[in-house]
Amino acid sequence: MDSFTQTAWLIPLFPFAAFLLLTALGRGYRRAGVMIGSIGSLLALIMSLLVLFERLDPNAVDYSNSYKWIDLGDYTLKVGFEVTNLNALMLVIVTAVSFLVNVYSAGYMKKDERITVFYGYVALFTFAMLGLVLSDNMLVFYIFWELVGVCSFLLVGFWYARPAARAAAKKAFIVTRIGDAGLLLGIIVLFWYMPGHALDFSSIHNVFNEGQSGAITMTITTSIALLLFMGVIGKSGQFPLHVWLPDAMEGPTPISALIHAATMVAAGVFLLARTFDIFEASAAAMHTVAYFGGFTAIFAATVALAQNDIKRILAYSTISQLGYMVMAMGLGSMTGGMFHLFTHAFFKALLFLAAGSVIHAVHTQNIHEMGGLGSKMRITAWTFGIGALSLSGIPPFSGFWSKDAILGTALDEDPFLFAIGLAAAFCTVLYMSRLFFIVFTGKSRVRQPNEVRESGLAMAIPMVVLAVLSVVAGFVETPWNGWLGNWLTGGGEEVHANGFAIVASIAVGVLGIYVGWLMYGRAYREQSPAAARMPWLVQLLERQYYVNEFYNVVIVGTVRWIGKLLHAFDEHVIGGAVRLVGFTAVAGGRVMTRLNNGQTQTYGLTAVIGLVVIIAAIVGRRFW
Amino acid sequence: MMDLTDLPILSIILATPLIGLLVVLLLPKHRNRWLQAAAIIFTLIPLVLSLMLYADYDRHQGGNAYEETANWVEVPLNKETQASNGVTSFTLSFQYDLGIDGLSLPLVVLTTLITAMAAFASVHVKKRWKAFYAWFLLLETGVLGVFMARDLFLFFVFFEITLIAMYFLIGIWGYFNRERAANQFVIYNGLGSAIMLIAFILLVSTAGFHIDQDTSTFIYSGSYADIVRNLADPSAWVNLAPDQTGGLNPFHMSDAMHTVIFLLLVVAFGIKLPILPFHTWMLKVHNEAHPAIVMIHSGILLKMGAYGLIRFGIVLFPEQAKDWAIVLATLGLINLLYGALVAFRQTELKLVLAYSSISHMGIVLLGLAAFNEIGLQGAVFQLVSHGLISALMFLLVGSLYERTRTTTLSELGGLARSMPFISGILLAGGLASLGLPGMSGFVGEFMSLLGLFDSQPWIAGFAVIGVILTAVYVLRAVLKTTFGPIDERFLAVKDARLIEALPMIVLLAFILLLGCYPSVLTDTFQYSVDGVFKPLFSLRMGG
Repeated sequence: MDSFTQTAWLIPLFPFAAFLLLTALGRGYRRAGVMIGSIGSLLALIMSLLVLFERLDPNAVDYSNSYKWIDLGDYTLKVGFEVTNLNALMLVIVTAVSFLVNVYSAGYMKKDERITVFYGYVALFTFAMLGLVLSDNMLVFYIFWELVGVCSFLLVGFWYARPAARAAAKKAFIVTRIGDAGLLLGIIVLFWYMPGHALDFSSIHNVFNEGQSGAITMTITTSIALLLFMGVIGKSGQFPLHVWLPDAMEGPTPISALIHAATMVAAGVFLLARTFDIFEASAAAMHTVAYFGGFTAIFAATVALAQNDIKRILAYSTISQLGYMVMAMGLGSMTGGMFHLFTHAFFKALLFLAAGSVIHAVHTQNIHEMGGLGSKMRITAWTFGIGALSLSGIPPFSGFWSKDAILGTALDEDPFLFAIGLAAAFCTVLYMSRLFFIVFTGKSRVRQPNEVRESGLAMAIPMVVLAVLSVVAGFVETPWNGWLGNWLTGGGEEVHANGFAIVASIAVGVLGIYVGWLMYGRAYREQSPAAARMPWLVQLLERQYYVNEFYNVVIVGTVRWIGKLLHAFDEHVIGGAVRLVGFTAVAGGRVMTRLNNGQTQTYGLTAVIGLVVIIAAIVGRRFW
Repeated sequence: MMDLTDLPILSIILATPLIGLLVVLLLPKHRNRWLQAAAIIFTLIPLVLSLMLYADYDRHQGGNAYEETANWVEVPLNKETQASNGVTSFTLSFQYDLGIDGLSLPLVVLTTLITAMAAFASVHVKKRWKAFYAWFLLLETGVLGVFMARDLFLFFVFFEITLIAMYFLIGIWGYFNRERAANQFVIYNGLGSAIMLIAFILLVSTAGFHIDQDTSTFIYSGSYADIVRNLADPSAWVNLAPDQTGGLNPFHMSDAMHTVIFLLLVVAFGIKLPILPFHTWMLKVHNEAHPAIVMIHSGILLKMGAYGLIRFGIVLFPEQAKDWAIVLATLGLINLLYGALVAFRQTELKLVLAYSSISHMGIVLLGLAAFNEIGLQGAVFQLVSHGLISALMFLLVGSLYERTRTTTLSELGGLARSMPFISGILLAGGLASLGLPGMSGFVGEFMSLLGLFDSQPWIAGFAVIGVILTAVYVLRAVLKTTFGPIDERFLAVKDARLIEALPMIVLLAFILLLGCYPSVLTDTFQYSVDGVFKPLFSLRMGG
């Protein structure tokens, strides 16, 4: 009994072994490399499914095991793993998408000369992400949190010779690191205030779940929660640290699907779920989380309306959807957040893979150079369509159920956020309709239309599998069946079934598609009617509210300026003082050591100075 | 296997480079390969021995695990103090006193490791090989002596040996402005040594004596053990006010004098560390010295500053260290942020790394200023970790320069294409430097900040900004070098040779080992903390 659960630590080791093997083999073995990477993730997937089936037993108990990492005086930092229902769910999401992306990349990256390096990085990422999922305490979590970040960095910069890729990789790392610094500080604060300096999640749960009975004051609780939330903002692309995610699209498209849609960016939401008790203990923290999420959802959705790069639209869509998840968490619905994470992982990975299939065929990411692809790429068009409908929240696709769970909660908890969520949902449907109609319908505007053909099986099969998952994944939690919530939280959360929310969200979906069809479906236009009437608004959205420009001037500029100032200070003030002292000393030395020549002169001088000082000290001792 | 404790193992380790020096002197001077082989062999032997010592070391013993003493010279002195306790004669004794504990042992291993790797990296030395390896081996003995000496004068002698050896190594084999760099190095460090000597003499003349009951001799010596014992003993003469001893006590050390000696030590070792604004000399050394020498300089010599600060500053003067902790913490914070911000503006890779050292040494200061066990552990961990990382980085700089003839950032770029191995290691080294978990840099940084938060939460909070800034300047420099479009000049450049790759892999392996399994280092140090430092901390915390 529970045998797979107890050996769950093996799961990350499969991809890790694949990474080591790939690194050792080098670039020569292309086919073998693809096989090694895929098998590593397949084994991890199988094992994760076995663990999940064990967890479905209602009597399953959480299992954790940890070992000493460092002794710190009287305290010990530990490393360990833990299997809970939440972890088991994440394990399956990560390994499933990872495996499908491995298969897909065999086609997509076929011609890249560094394909084995690519598979190595993907395997390393899968290892780190699984380690993050399984970690039993905050420190181990942080270790893997940083490791997934560095893998993301490596893969965004995979085509390292491109200056844009280099800039994007650097930006991804640094911007997320701003959040990570907060997270690190949060962990440090947590360490000192937790009873027994325990950092493991079950102790955190026990301490904060008791309400405010412990020694931790409300101020401290709120501070810890907000510091941890900084990490979430960075990793999950929440405003104002979202700027790295659209640029991260410089990486290969399978990576966008795996890391920047389904798994790593969701790690922030997962962190919220893991430390949910801390947040729940502070109403102020919960409000902050909810409003950051809600704002990000609407903010990013409006930006997505005016982008012309297929991957950027999807990237902003990801930011917006992550905003939904964060908002759900902030509203107290961990189930809603995790449920949306679950469905989103499938339909967004699907959308990215389908977009990759399009890019593979037309060699551009500009949607205005596509058009009419539906007839030539049927599988891609159908699967993309399913993903789009799911994202748009049209029943019975999975996105509908999870988005409805969030909106239902919002309506009960905070009508203002419900309105925001509904508006963002409308934008979502609108930009997805725009994307779908411009890319797949109408006349072809492709430069070389004859070369456009459907992608091969390696790419098509993962898309079809994900499409099926996007359709069915939503049925684990419906307004009349709260199975997922009960399983995740042990039945502690009520189901927010709200007829009005359901009707409103369906209405918004249908209206969005209709408006989208009116604007973009009937006939192709380079410029939407809105652009003609309000060019400033469209430009504002197109330039992403000028957030990047603002950061460049205010933050990057300030750091540069301070650096420049300090550099000048270092060179002229400190250096100048040193030169002055040095000049005096050397001039004095010339006088004193005139008899000596050569380099040893200076040393002699120093010895003399030293001797004088020593004598002074010995004499001075008498007067002390 | 033989028992290490039966042999004078410390003296053997210390003397091996000197034997190597003799061998080098006997070899023909134009035989570059032979000379290097000799240097490699005679640096590998101490490495193997020190690793055996490390494995053999009893981690549960707090004090000196191995001690080797011998009297050098005894000088009779005038009978200048009142004869109490039946003392009949006075002697000044110079002792050869070596010992290691959990603090010095890791640094000894670090020294033997980095020196051996630097011997490999010396493959790029172009002239006067014989003299180079002679000074090189002398330098190793000097550094090892510094970490092993348990006598203040012996410590001083070894400290000066490193100074002289470095002076010639920088001045002869460096780049264009090498002589200037060497001069500034020796002036600054000579000044530091002078200040250190004053502090030492003050210490010896107040606390550095014991009375040999058998011969009724009053013996002055630089014995570290005597000084530690006397300072900690409330009934020792050094701690008795004159009115407690009947009006006259020339050995009494007043509070003011405690503070003065403590501050003298801080300045003396602060120059070496370096603490701002005493850092300009080390920039020049980083920029002008041969990379193999910078490996030793940045990897080990800077650590002597922190080592001295712990060994003499904190252990001997815990109360002052505690009182001045806020100042040390502020200085550490300035080092950390200033170094990072200025590193961000550098156009020369070597200077980025130099300022990076300043920044990383700031973390050591922060760990010390925490004045608790966690912080101190973090500081020591950071010492070892930074030693490994900066040695690796300068090893890479040496290999890069050989191929590109420049390390100016604006001229580099895209090197990952023609030298994927070197670029990969450079990226790994950069990630270690910016504190990526799984590599050694993170552990030292995390423990230092964790410890600091308990005593100075606000400074710890600000120090976290350093985590971001480090990422900014490291990635800027590394990505500028390896990513992006490649210059045509560098297209045909070859990747690392085996003799270059070997030390890179070894250093990276150690960085990963410490990052993944830090206990291998912390356990060794742990019981020194328990034995020596814990009483200091608890004493002060309680009071």
